[in-house]
Amino acid sequence: MRPWCLQGSTGDERLMYIATVALCACGGCHNSLLAAGEPFVSLLSEHTISFSSYLFDRRTISPSDVVLATGGIRNHEELEIAREIERTSRKVIAVGSCAVYGGLPGARDREEPPAVSEGAGLPEMLENVMPLDSIVGVELYLPGCPPPPGLILESLKSLEGRYEPPHFDGTVCSECPRTVEVKPVKSWSLHPGCGVPEGSCLLNHGLLCLGPVTRGGCLAACPLEGSICIGCRGPSDMVLSSQLHSMYSDMVKYVTLSTASRREKVEKKLSAVLETIYLFTRRDPVIRAKVKERVPGE
Amino acid sequence: MSNDVSNLEGSEELGGQKVRLYPVTRIQGRADIEIIFTPYHEVSEARFRALEVRGLDRLAVGMPALRVPQVLSRICGSCGPFHQLASCMALENATGAVLPAAAGTVRELLCWLWLAHSHLLSIIYTVLPDLALPMSDMAVRNITGIYMVEQEAVSRLFRIQAAFAEALGTVAGTLVHPAMVVPGGVSSIPDVRTLSHTAELLEGCEDDLRETLRLLEMLIKRDAQMTFTGTTLEGHYMAATVEGVPFPLGDEVTVKPFGEGEPVVLSHRQLLDGMVEAPVQWSYLVPVSLKGADHLLTGPLSRMNMGYGPDTKWADLECNKCVEQWGRPLDREFLAYMALMLEVIRAWEKSRLLLEEWSPAGGVACAAPEFSAASGVSVVDSPRGVILHSVSVDGSGIVEAYKVVSPLQFNCPMMNRHLSGIARKVVTGIEITDAVAQRLQFAVRAFNPCVPCGTH
Repeated sequence: MRPWCLQGSTGDERLMYIATVALCACGGCHNSLLAAGEPFVSLLSEHTISFSSYLFDRRTISPSDVVLATGGIRNHEELEIAREIERTSRKVIAVGSCAVYGGLPGARDREEPPAVSEGAGLPEMLENVMPLDSIVGVELYLPGCPPPPGLILESLKSLEGRYEPPHFDGTVCSECPRTVEVKPVKSWSLHPGCGVPEGSCLLNHGLLCLGPVTRGGCLAACPLEGSICIGCRGPSDMVLSSQLHSMYSDMVKYVTLSTASRREKVEKKLSAVLETIYLFTRRDPVIRAKVKERVPGE
Repeated sequence: MSNDVSNLEGSEELGGQKVRLYPVTRIQGRADIEIIFTPYHEVSEARFRALEVRGLDRLAVGMPALRVPQVLSRICGSCGPFHQLASCMALENATGAVLPAAAGTVRELLCWLWLAHSHLLSIIYTVLPDLALPMSDMAVRNITGIYMVEQEAVSRLFRIQAAFAEALGTVAGTLVHPAMVVPGGVSSIPDVRTLSHTAELLEGCEDDLRETLRLLEMLIKRDAQMTFTGTTLEGHYMAATVEGVPFPLGDEVTVKPFGEGEPVVLSHRQLLDGMVEAPVQWSYLVPVSLKGADHLLTGPLSRMNMGYGPDTKWADLECNKCVEQWGRPLDREFLAYMALMLEVIRAWEKSRLLLEEWSPAGGVACAAPEFSAASGVSVVDSPRGVILHSVSVDGSGIVEAYKVVSPLQFNCPMMNRHLSGIARKVVTGIEITDAVAQRLQFAVRAFNPCVPCGTH
């Protein structure tokens, strides 16, 4: 149980102490939040920033009502920061797929980090990247690379009690205006070739778009621009719903149906690019269990 | 996390003590500043240390090359689109894919929009607190502190940022890590309606841009009197150029000395061949210099020193006014903040020119690359400076080797020398006050360091 309860301590029941923390992250999730612009700063000005190295010059992690945490945990320093967050904060929002699943840095097993001298005081690397909830109790998960600015802002507002937390149980496909037909595909690619006609499903043109198995909420931004979904928001509720589903097996099923292909042929093709299906989610314990079960040799 | 900026590490180095300022705030990523003292409590050296590493460039090895640009976009949450572009261009260089003209125009438009938006976020969240409230308590020295007392000025900036964000959303779909740029071109060409909406959005920014420029000019003049220690930047400045004029997708790299000397023009390959990497034991960042140019500066102030060219009249005029006021070369750290604003104006002018001269939307979006065993190199000038990508692929399109060099790696030696110079002037003992810590961080922020970019 966390000992801190700041909201209301000043006599104003609405005032929250808000922090943002970046662990092993590229900064994209923070930039997505900052790009929310005036509504974000206006919201912050109604509350108090307790800690945010992106916004604020205070150097210590202070007790907070809400922490927006981005990034996974890759080194001992990040591990300590995560433990500090766990001790001192009431609610934590895991922002972005690195925080939720471990993200891209966990796409492969650890490689040797650059050599540094022992006395240099640089943080030592962990064996593998860990998702945030390995250490911290997470109130709200907000996957995406990065989540759209509006989505992060809505999540923050939801903890004020103004709104229900945003949740998208559909897939990217369910938000995509492109129309799928059942028709055969000659070959498969990760590249749009000379471009894909507007309105036509990318899978129908042989592009391995992960939209059918990926969680929605991004308004299908990538397929809309003619580029494949690379699964940055992780698996949809359907994929997570039972042991009989995985991103790989559901993708095989969907592609087999939509392209009237033989299942073995699709399985072979997707096995060859398996790593790219689990780019963002490989470090998540639930996903790893499914990958092991569904794909021999992984 | 350190509780106090004067937190002593207690370890011995160079016979003296070290003080650690951790973390450096209002920058991208996690870093500290280490100040090393002589036994007589004089500053021997101050250095910026990157404390994180992710190794995404190593992740690219063994991956299908066509997937790599979208992955390497995740090197940086700020300059990500420029890494994606550099990765695509390196693959195009390796495969010999010829970029369709329409795709080239879309990429150029995206570059200017991304550059302006990235700079605007830096101005709002980093520059404005430093300039508007340099001596204030840290509790209010942030954008919300300014917003509460000077809402209109901040709202003006947010209106410009929102216009560029919407323009980017309209053209590219997403702001951060957009998928639109692919090897061989772009995934789609924006239609006429998208382009005219983008033009309208930009047109509406002019008054806010003028007001904001005047505000920053005034603040920088005031700040110059308060913070200038007499320490100027020394070494060489570098930018991607076309015929000597800075251009994000320039096919050459120009290197000029701050002092006397002739400029050197390099091809992308020559830049790669001329680089000298010098790993250090105390940071995850690998500093990079060029043969004959140990201390490099890349980024907005470099490009401002080279001049913007006559096609962007407003930015060029303001740049010349700066030169008249501050002299050439522009070698004072606080001018980097002015360079950010002038580049927003330049990007605004360039985007509008492109949209006015746009000829037929709906051209060919992309050339499909065909792989044979080959290698390629590319340079893109991102908001923070020169990015270099180098790739080797095998005949089946799998990446065999990948190398990324980021602006912070080029800037690091000059930044640390400058930081040491400032530290020697403002640090008077091992007790570091908030004002001194703020001054040291100001010296670092002038280089707009991005740690995730620097360590990949």
